[in-house]
Amino acid sequence: MNKNFFEVKNVDFKVGGKTKVANVSFAIEKEGDVICLLGPSGIGKTTILRTIAGLEKIKKGSIELNGNVLSSEKKNVEPENRNISLAFQENSLFPHYTVEKNILLGAERNKDKKDHQINFQEIIELLDISLILKKYPHEISAGEAQRVSLARSVITQPDLLLLDEPLSNVDQSFKEEIQEKLKRILKSSKITTIIVTHDSYEAFYLGSKCGIILNQELKQFDNPYNVYHLPNSIEVVNFLNRGTLIPAEVTSPKSLENKDLGTITGNFLKPFPIGTKVKLLIQPEDLHHDDKSNLKFEVVDRKFRGTNFIYTLKTPSDTFIPVFVHSHHIHQHDVDEKFGVKRPIHIDHIVCF
Amino acid sequence: MLKNLNIWFLSSLIVSLIVLIPILTVFSSFFDETSNYYQILKDTFLFEYISNSLILLFFVLIFTFFIGTGTAYLVSFFEFPLSNFFKWALILSFAVPPYIYAYSLTAFFENYGTAFTILKNLFGDANYNENIPKLDGMFGAILSITFSLYAYVYILARASFLYQSQNLIDLGKNLGFSKFKSFYKVILPSARPAIIAGLSLVAMETLAEFGAVDFFSINTLTTGIYNSWITFDDLAFANRISSFLLLFIFSLFIIENLSRKKAKYHFNSRGGLKQKNKTKLYGSKSFLAFIFCFFILFLSFLFPLSQMLYWTLKFPENLFDLQIIELFSNTLYLVLLSGLLLIVFSLISNYGNRVSKNKALNFLSTLSISGYAIPGVILAIAFITFIAWFDNNIIKSLGFISIKKFFIGSILGLVLVYFIRFYSLAFNGIKSGYEKINISVDESAYLLGYSKRKTFMNIHVPFLRNSLLFIIILISLEIIRELPITLILRPFNFETFATTAYISASEDLLEAAAVPSLFLILIASLFIIVSSKYILRENNE
Repeated sequence: MNKNFFEVKNVDFKVGGKTKVANVSFAIEKEGDVICLLGPSGIGKTTILRTIAGLEKIKKGSIELNGNVLSSEKKNVEPENRNISLAFQENSLFPHYTVEKNILLGAERNKDKKDHQINFQEIIELLDISLILKKYPHEISAGEAQRVSLARSVITQPDLLLLDEPLSNVDQSFKEEIQEKLKRILKSSKITTIIVTHDSYEAFYLGSKCGIILNQELKQFDNPYNVYHLPNSIEVVNFLNRGTLIPAEVTSPKSLENKDLGTITGNFLKPFPIGTKVKLLIQPEDLHHDDKSNLKFEVVDRKFRGTNFIYTLKTPSDTFIPVFVHSHHIHQHDVDEKFGVKRPIHIDHIVCF
Repeated sequence: MLKNLNIWFLSSLIVSLIVLIPILTVFSSFFDETSNYYQILKDTFLFEYISNSLILLFFVLIFTFFIGTGTAYLVSFFEFPLSNFFKWALILSFAVPPYIYAYSLTAFFENYGTAFTILKNLFGDANYNENIPKLDGMFGAILSITFSLYAYVYILARASFLYQSQNLIDLGKNLGFSKFKSFYKVILPSARPAIIAGLSLVAMETLAEFGAVDFFSINTLTTGIYNSWITFDDLAFANRISSFLLLFIFSLFIIENLSRKKAKYHFNSRGGLKQKNKTKLYGSKSFLAFIFCFFILFLSFLFPLSQMLYWTLKFPENLFDLQIIELFSNTLYLVLLSGLLLIVFSLISNYGNRVSKNKALNFLSTLSISGYAIPGVILAIAFITFIAWFDNNIIKSLGFISIKKFFIGSILGLVLVYFIRFYSLAFNGIKSGYEKINISVDESAYLLGYSKRKTFMNIHVPFLRNSLLFIIILISLEIIRELPITLILRPFNFETFATTAYISASEDLLEAAAVPSLFLILIASLFIIVSSKYILRENNE
């Protein structure tokens, strides 16, 4: 039997006696994997990390790392004995030490670790903090403090690294660069990591798997592609805010009928009996623009996203459908104009609820 | 309950119980039998005690409000000659306790006093005594207490002005308010909680004041308590008056605490810490601002200092008669013992509150800091009452030898009562230091493999070092100025600068009181100058 490197089994995550997320189970199969937990603010993502770090206790289920039980109803390994590092979202640097000393304190922890040693110089250059090494925490910005905290946690070379919204205070212009560097460091140092974020693109980029936490539950735990294209519940669709649900009726094992769009063909992810009334997920990439098509709808909104436009179309039955168009498309459509949708409509994976 | 029993809980429990002893003693003695003097006092002096206390309180509050808020407003918002010097010099008045101010006032204005000598030297012999006002009695007491305590209002009002949002002030300008309208429509209302907190402290100290009112022979509740014990040997009556006073003081304590909490909400961190643009004053306005601040500094600090210095130089024999080294070492001994005890217990309690998040512990800690509201006279007498009761009813009935001598008229008893009175200083000082360390800093340390002990020693203690130093200075300042507790509980022949000055003054030997008073002012001034940055809350407090 294959043993997972890290596993959470049926745990209720609580803080102050109040359940934040119930009956959670997920696993990280191999050492060095990075997973992300995604969910809106205040949903309990941080509580999950704090509990895994040993800062909160559990009364149900178990948390295991490398075959050892860290937390269960009967057992609780103290945080200082877990070799798990947590980079907090808020500034948690030691206020009376310089940035350099703060990072070096992290380096002291696993200085005897032989394999894939992380170099101090390398990490400060990667995270661009070499110019602030002699400064004290109160003299640096929130974004810089977050990068220092990240450096201190990574250099610890823990068995499990927990990052709580690691880039929430980093400038947007700098974010992608840091994400790339972070991914590189984590990969080269083979540190198993759980990242908590509310930014779905960050999660899809950094994690080999993503967990979606909504309404006190872990709704879906899958690879980013599946979470995005094959959401398993209406809540996940609403959370990712990347499509719309329209009414349709199943007309054959490979088709449905919608009053406004007509026949839609494709492969059902889950079979439905013919005649079932369903809600069909239409994502921006599912429909294609065609100026010559006679299936036309009114444009009510147009968002320019650099590489593409997302048009919002209003159907006669008052549903709003997003359609993705490459920004190099020959001409643009203004609001109130008519917009043609290519027929026949074929969607590779049909997601219905 | 049992799972709560750890060193932090026990430590807070012990401190709370020690603080509760005088409070419970006072209230439980309310129904004890009093001597025949009770009826006489009740029919004659009790009304006078209460009315005098209230008159004193009323005028001191009015004067400290105007002086404290006025000076704080000037140094916070305007630039005029020496405004930066006045900013900290105005707190030097703390170095002069009301009783020493009272001695200076009398020394200056009495018949053939310093004022008389100055006039004689300037204009030759004449009967100036008739024309020199006698600032004694109730007016003298009001002046002495006002000039000694206005700094409470000044410090809190200034801190509030300092952290007041620049946006708020800009908004007032934008609405076309004049400076005066801005002050009473915008600045003053938002500083109100801080000013009320300052005035509550003044009120508590005024009601607790003993030395100055005793010197001017004003019968207040405090002197009533002392006299019931000393003159009539009636502890029960002393405790009965104490309970009236305590009820009143605890209501002030609650007002002060609520106001402090509100004062926190009124600090607007967004833009609030922005350096405010001080208005530069010119011409007569600049001169008037300077004169006002100088006048307050002169009256509150320079005047008593120079009066004491003048007498010390005029009667140098008193300087040689005084056992300065002994007084100094006695004071140092008390400071070190009390300081050590206070810091150890408040560190343990604060650390316990931080790591255990226990509501009962939190409640006990709040209870244990209420000792600072209890006047020294009440604390000392209640302590004696309790020890006498405990000794008679518990110790002796168990067949042990009497413990009175270990606690009454001993260093141990003195230090214990100082502990109750000044615990809040140490506790709150460490607490405000701890509030600057985010709890995630501790958690980061644990996750870096630090044990709780190592986190405490390597992270907390180095960070709290400045707070601890400041607490030691504040405790020293309080102990060196403290009079009633030391007077009542000190061992035989054990004197401090304060008791020596009091004893000389009460024997009408004001010239002899000048030397210990001068030393007291100088040492206290030194402590204030060293810690002024912290007292003025300019260190991110």
